[in-house]
Amino acid sequence: MAESITAIVTALGFPSVEAFIAVLLLGGAIIGAIVVIATIRPLLDLFPYAYPNARVRARVGRLFSEKQLSEILESDNLDEVQNYLRGFPEYAQYVDKYPLEKALDTQLADTYDLVARIAPGDIKGVFRALLKKWDIRNIKSVITAKEVGLNSEKTMELLIPFGDLKNDLGQLSEVNSVTDIITALEGTDYAKILEDALPAYQNTQMVLPLEAALDKYYLENLLRASANPADDNGSLVHTYVGSQVDITNLKIILRAKVDGLKYDDISPYMISNGYQIRDWKLKDLMEAEDVSAVVSAMEGTDYAPILSEALNGYNKTGSAASFEKDLDIYLTKMARNFAVKKPFGAGPMIGFLNRKENEIRNLKVIARGKREVNFPAARIKEMLV
Amino acid sequence: MVVELGTALAAIGAGVAVGFAGLGSGLGQGIAAAGSVGAVAEDNDMFARGIIFSALPETQAIYGFLIAILLLVFSGLLQKENLLTVTQGLVAIGAGAAIGFAGLGSGMGQGITAASSVGAVVEDEDMFARGIIFSALPETQAIYGFLIAILLMVFGGILG
Repeated sequence: MAESITAIVTALGFPSVEAFIAVLLLGGAIIGAIVVIATIRPLLDLFPYAYPNARVRARVGRLFSEKQLSEILESDNLDEVQNYLRGFPEYAQYVDKYPLEKALDTQLADTYDLVARIAPGDIKGVFRALLKKWDIRNIKSVITAKEVGLNSEKTMELLIPFGDLKNDLGQLSEVNSVTDIITALEGTDYAKILEDALPAYQNTQMVLPLEAALDKYYLENLLRASANPADDNGSLVHTYVGSQVDITNLKIILRAKVDGLKYDDISPYMISNGYQIRDWKLKDLMEAEDVSAVVSAMEGTDYAPILSEALNGYNKTGSAASFEKDLDIYLTKMARNFAVKKPFGAGPMIGFLNRKENEIRNLKVIARGKREVNFPAARIKEMLV
Repeated sequence: MVVELGTALAAIGAGVAVGFAGLGSGLGQGIAAAGSVGAVAEDNDMFARGIIFSALPETQAIYGFLIAILLLVFSGLLQKENLLTVTQGLVAIGAGAAIGFAGLGSGMGQGITAASSVGAVVEDEDMFARGIIFSALPETQAIYGFLIAILLMVFGGILG
């Protein structure tokens, strides 16, 4: 046996068996290194998501089931809804502290804050940008409060203690006018946004231009934060944010067309660089004659079948609400698909935030319904997502 | 005493066995444990189940460790007697590579499945048994590697 091995080794041109073994080992080491690197690299991409996704999935398990939502819906009044929510620690901490709607919004803000804290570095920026939602909500609340002449104490009751401006809310609630708000926000992006929209507000004496400018800034900032994705997870987040922008643009255009508005009225509110609706398409949509023309112009995009189906509802009711509901359902389905398609990436976080958002929206609808005397539960149920 | 080339090759085989199997096991256990920590942060009751899922990818390192010990003992490296021939040394490298690489793949696969199962269980407690079954599936590759390593050692004249 040994002689035959030596004969093979010599025939291969090696001076000795030891030299042959050395070459063999070197080859084995190189192949081993290639195998290790090739197999480990994909796993290292999954590592940062293991911890946040487990936390997020734990919270998905605590979202209200349809049965629980029906139980809340069957409550006789608002107190019963509050008592039901007190049974869940996540809600109890805020229900005991704030009025119901503020408690629900604060719980949602807390959830966004948690996800932004635990999100892995590559996509953390986008989830941090999502937190600006609460700054913008608070600024809008202050603007509205000052318009109707609320004092600082009453204004403070409207504010959600989350977001970058969390520590400035006290100062913000004490202002008396929109120009004071701009002064109080000096040094932040919001001051510039409001300053630019100030002439429109002063001309119209309506807060809409200020609110629209803030909403536009929020989505543009989100697009910026998700632009240039580094990997598949970044692309997933960008797709979701881009779709949100598309849907926001579509909702504005459809509402405007229901009200018979033209290109010049709509264009200041449009946000560029959505996912499927590019700028030239936006222009076509804004120039469309009516709602049907908008639906036709969407042919070839993923939104076409949804809008075509919702068109029947619109033709019956004359309201853009059917479009809006179906577009929201589309976004929810997209977020759920991401959670299934990318279980070790950003999918579960996107899916969870979307579902949490829907849960809070449903609870707020129920709360509003229960505030009205004798408002039928069946009617509330129709309004749930 | 000078170590024979055959025994030195068996030592490399032992290193490959425990090294690669340990690498796969460590990575797998790391990802499963990271998932478990996230689950425990949300729900204290997940501690025991998290430990179970995190412990699953440990087996690959144990298989690699066992083969390495057998190689070290039967190659004569520890007792300095019954040293191996060059041919047996090459067989020993084969045995080490069998469990090493099988353990690497199996450990990583099991870690990913275990982390996913932890997420499923923390979302829905009823998923525990099914999670364990799915997490146990990637164990088979390590068992194949372990069996082939034993067979190589037996029929390569290292064991017995």
